Amino acid sequence: MRKILLIAKRDYLAVVRTKAFLIGLVALPIVFGGGSVGSALVQNRAGAKSRQVAILDPTGAAAAAIVQAAKDKTEEDRLSKTAGLQASPQFDFETVAPDHAGLDEQRLALSDRLRSGNLAAVLELDPDTLHPRTNPPPPVRYYTNSGGIDTAQGWLADAVNEGLRRARLTELGVAESHFKELLTNTPLQSTSLVARDPRTGAIGAPRKRGQAESFAVPFITVMLLAMIVLIGASPMLSAVAEDKLQRVYEMLLATATPFELMAGKVLAAIGQSLTSSVFYIIGGLLVLEGMALIGMAPLWVLPWFFIYLVAEVTMLCAMGVALGATCGSPQDAQHLALPLLFPVVIPLFLIGPILQQPNGPLATALSLFPLFTPIVMMLRQTLPGSVPAWQPWVGLAGVLIVTPIITWGAARIFRVAILLQGQRPNAAQLLRMAVRG
Amino acid sequence: MDAVEIQSVTKTFGDLTAVDDLTLTVPEGSVYGFIGPNGSGKTTTMRMIVNIFYPDRGTIRVFGTESHGTSSAHIGYLPEERGLYRKMKVRELLEFYGELRGGRKVTAEVDGWLRKFDLFQWGDQKLETLSKGMSQKIQFIAAVVPSPKLLILDEPFSGLDPVSADLLRDAILELRHRGATIILSTHDMHVAESMCDRIFMIFRGKKVLDGTLESIQGQYGSDTIRVSSNGDAAALNGLPGVERVRDLGQVQELRMAQGCDPQEVLRALVGRARVSSFSIAKPSLHEIFVRIAGPAAEEVAVA
Repeated sequence: MRKILLIAKRDYLAVVRTKAFLIGLVALPIVFGGGSVGSALVQNRAGAKSRQVAILDPTGAAAAAIVQAAKDKTEEDRLSKTAGLQASPQFDFETVAPDHAGLDEQRLALSDRLRSGNLAAVLELDPDTLHPRTNPPPPVRYYTNSGGIDTAQGWLADAVNEGLRRARLTELGVAESHFKELLTNTPLQSTSLVARDPRTGAIGAPRKRGQAESFAVPFITVMLLAMIVLIGASPMLSAVAEDKLQRVYEMLLATATPFELMAGKVLAAIGQSLTSSVFYIIGGLLVLEGMALIGMAPLWVLPWFFIYLVAEVTMLCAMGVALGATCGSPQDAQHLALPLLFPVVIPLFLIGPILQQPNGPLATALSLFPLFTPIVMMLRQTLPGSVPAWQPWVGLAGVLIVTPIITWGAARIFRVAILLQGQRPNAAQLLRMAVRG
Repeated sequence: MDAVEIQSVTKTFGDLTAVDDLTLTVPEGSVYGFIGPNGSGKTTTMRMIVNIFYPDRGTIRVFGTESHGTSSAHIGYLPEERGLYRKMKVRELLEFYGELRGGRKVTAEVDGWLRKFDLFQWGDQKLETLSKGMSQKIQFIAAVVPSPKLLILDEPFSGLDPVSADLLRDAILELRHRGATIILSTHDMHVAESMCDRIFMIFRGKKVLDGTLESIQGQYGSDTIRVSSNGDAAALNGLPGVERVRDLGQVQELRMAQGCDPQEVLRALVGRARVSSFSIAKPSLHEIFVRIAGPAAEEVAVA
């Protein structure tokens, strides 16, 4: 154990004392956080800029109602407390009467204006838009030259439908003063499950559950776990391959056993990961405290977070050490880097289906597969809607069984492969090394 | 007690038998030279002694103990392929290696060795800033701190300039005087002859020589004539009873066939050139090495 700790200390200090580690530690949240804030600011600026929209209206009555509805919606958005940084789009409208004889020419002219940037969008109404005779009703054609995610479309769709409803109500003789009551939207408020307080026995009050609780907190927690695992584990393969090429290991192997050497390296990586995670978690909690949002922090999940972190880093680092030992060149290490990270990358690719059905068969199966357990079970545990109590423990048991097996096999591969030069063993040979040593 | 006892050890890598049924005993306190052509099994034998490789068959005891899967604090090992953490500072690195093997702080010993090799002022420099020769000396220090009972050196002098080589030789002999057992491999037959109490030669995985220099030379008898003359090596070709002429520049070495009379050779030689020196000698270790592993031996082996 003394040798393991000594090797771990050397490897740990060799990494955390580098400028690259410290810069990476600080830069990562700045890049992610700065990116989000920057994106919001850019969106805000883009949203605040006034854009011109043309409405081609063959009904003769709908356009005015749509323009008025859009103005009212703009004002509502401005007054809305929930709008936050995101200002609503600002639109100026112009109504265009259709030239039935030259409609194609008219569309072309409007399209050219869109291409030149003179217009942001064109809404072409159908003659039956106000009184549709078909089901579904004829669509309003939406022309735009903007690419990527077009937030204006959704906003304008709301304004168009609001305006059309108002026009219909007006035709029916309903006074304008009744519009708000008739057309108001009632939202669905996402709410946490009610529970009994185990100490007082009192039934708790329903609690508003925001998007942050149902999506952001699980997402950020899992991304943090994945990010720290990747930071801790991914350099292992190339570092071992590099040290092998530098012929560092032969002398060490005369002093420490392969298992001691490998265990020291894995322990160092765990230390680096814990250092990063403590830094990020304390930093995150301080930010939440400063924003008076500390109640959102899922503190109860921290013990699981650290257990999963240690298990995943151990498994990936052990595999990284073994695969690094088989490399004959830095190129070999590059080729093996991605497969090594599959236990993290695959669950991240499947995050969508898991979020949709956290207790579905796919999510459950993945979370009980030991290589995926840390990421997937963490995600499921942080999502609202409880995971059956036995599942995290079964998942943990699988991890606790598989991790030593992987570490043991990896040590045997490491011992045989680390002094091999000029040849890269294939999968069958690796298996033989792991079994026979 | 013997420092190392190797008993009927065989080690194979796939189809290749690197070491074949080797039995060898290294007495405590001796300097034992391992010689043999490249790829003959020297390094594999050394790696088995330090437990980097395990024998497929046979046993290896170090100071009477057979250890499998563990490393010994008593063995210092300098591998042929030099490599250290190049980003570490010299003193940190040496203290790390010393503490790893010895289980205690070795600061004073490290400083002592750095002074001995005139590297003290480089202690706070990163290894990557050192020359190749300096790095080799650092690696030697890493192998001998703290003082090992058994020191295994694989090609310790390769790549060193004469001054550094002398420093290293003195250091090795000093360790031997302090009681350490030294095993060293070398391709320099002069080093083996001058430093080693006993010499072991391995060829194609098998032991072909083992003993003191005298005893090894004794196996071959006094079948060598060393000659200096005013004629070149060509003048010596075709001398009666001479199997082979080896031109060393100022001196030529003649190998006599069995039953050859050196007086006959001298008489024939005087008729061809003016002889300034003529001596009958045992074959050098170099000559013996070449006889065993040289092209002529290869041809015999193939035939």
